[in-house]
Amino acid sequence: MHWINWTIVVVYLVWVVWDGLRKSKDTDSVEGYFVAGRSLSWWVVGLSVMATQLSAITMIGTPGQGATDGIRFVQFYFGLPLAMVILGVTLVPFLHGSGVYTAYEYLERRFDAKTRSLTAFLFLLSRGMSAGTIMAAPGVVLSAIFGFPLVWSVALIGIPTVAYTMIGGVQAVAWADVKQMFLIVIALFAIVAVLAVQMPVNPHDALQIAGATGRLKAFDFSFDPNETYTFWSGIIGGTFLMLSYFGTDQSQVQRYLTARSVDEARSSLLMSAYWKIPLQALILLVGVGVFVYYQFVRPPLLFNPAHEAAVVQEQGAAYGDLQRRYAETFTLRETAALNVAEADGDGQARAAMDAFLAREADIQAIRGEALSLAEEVTGEASRDVNYIIPRFVLSELPLGLAGLFIAGVLAAAMSSIAAELNALATTSVIDFYRRWVRPEADDAHYLRVSKGATAFWGIFACVVATYAATLGSLIEVVNRYGSFFYGSILGVFLLAMLPRSRGTGAFVGLIAGMSAVAAVNFGAPDVSFLWHNVIGAVTVLVVGLALSGVSKRA
Amino acid sequence: MTTRRGTPGADGPGFRTTLIRVLTVQVIALALLWLLQTLYHV
Repeated sequence: MHWINWTIVVVYLVWVVWDGLRKSKDTDSVEGYFVAGRSLSWWVVGLSVMATQLSAITMIGTPGQGATDGIRFVQFYFGLPLAMVILGVTLVPFLHGSGVYTAYEYLERRFDAKTRSLTAFLFLLSRGMSAGTIMAAPGVVLSAIFGFPLVWSVALIGIPTVAYTMIGGVQAVAWADVKQMFLIVIALFAIVAVLAVQMPVNPHDALQIAGATGRLKAFDFSFDPNETYTFWSGIIGGTFLMLSYFGTDQSQVQRYLTARSVDEARSSLLMSAYWKIPLQALILLVGVGVFVYYQFVRPPLLFNPAHEAAVVQEQGAAYGDLQRRYAETFTLRETAALNVAEADGDGQARAAMDAFLAREADIQAIRGEALSLAEEVTGEASRDVNYIIPRFVLSELPLGLAGLFIAGVLAAAMSSIAAELNALATTSVIDFYRRWVRPEADDAHYLRVSKGATAFWGIFACVVATYAATLGSLIEVVNRYGSFFYGSILGVFLLAMLPRSRGTGAFVGLIAGMSAVAAVNFGAPDVSFLWHNVIGAVTVLVVGLALSGVSKRA
Repeated sequence: MTTRRGTPGADGPGFRTTLIRVLTVQVIALALLWLLQTLYHV
């Protein structure tokens, strides 16, 4: 990458850390450090909520998904607006109004210590590992793209993030999120502008080409539980998932606990309700645009440069043969794509479309062979989809904009990781250290421990990220089992709002919910994970209410 | 406590107004996606 692009990246890193620390106020108390003295405006919190949810993989993986699979992934977010509105009238007033630091602290007030500790422990378990994963994912991509060791990428993302999160607390995180969210949107519009200017065909023809390959199918109304992204799994399963994530996950709950009132907390969530689907659709359409662009400008056969280099070294002759076939077929497909754009009349258009689809299938077959070769040589899953957008950015974006996009990727990674570290430290200190180890210490002591806890989780995340390749299966296991309790924890919070529910019912219900999800996962592994949240939450509610009724009568 | 218009509250009209606004924006967004699919998806 050109030195000017690197300068932009460095300026961004220095600016975000310096300004994050400058905006830190009231961090000389635990309340200031963890919930900003409950003083932030709704728009600061709202942007922080959005930046936390938008990870680096959303910036590089999601447009890649748009390029390879189209826009149907947008259905995943269909439940989000409804979930935000529901949370605005249910959990947000309970959590913000009760003056707690963590969502789990509220559960002890409502139920008992064991329910609080179990839910807090489950949060630490899943989010502790995921903080490392969300650092590793962009780290691996940046390392492959720029050719430097993974530990450098991890340091590039991890050191500034840990620094401003540890020193400045939640306020530094929130203000950094605001800037990062603006940078992310600017970076996305930079790609849109470049695509609009450089696209060899007009927008109508570009959409025709994208539509011909099925990439503009946004709705799938089939009621197939094995299909991950459908309208119904998005509306029903997605609503439960978003309720769980925004209502019970400390990394999000802590964002709106910093709002200066319940109304401001509600408004901050509504920002996502309004903008998430349009933003996500835009990100996917950027990917579709890149796909169309690559019909006319030949992209690399393998997008992952590290895999490409390994294949050239180990299987040079076979790869050279694939490259020759790819070049020939690409020319044929380009001509076919132009014919689609220029076709006149229904019959001619149909014939042009069929010819184009045949050539596209040929290209995909060759790409499939190259991916198999790469997997064989490297022994790794290809995940080539994550490299499409970075390669496009570095080769097609003008000087300066590429640096801006890489800074945007770092911003997306840092905003998500900072929120995780902040939430992990809060839960460790408030739900465990202060609750079980040192209940009577002074504020200054807890503040020192909080900063130490942030540093600990930051280093832990960096270590997990650095060894992500070797810890791969472990991380996958943790993430997979993480979905066992997401919906179940939501069920406990829903129970908390029902006057007749009791502590034992909630605790046993939580275990029953996780068991039910585990049973579905092992008994019917093809059922989409989006339905796990529904199953978990409903089981907890049913079991919890039944047991609460029994214990009340007893 | 401040209450802006359109902020969801448990007390009725504010929440209903917000719900309608959020749903309206989403319906427009989904309608545009639907239009895209109807016009171009083969």
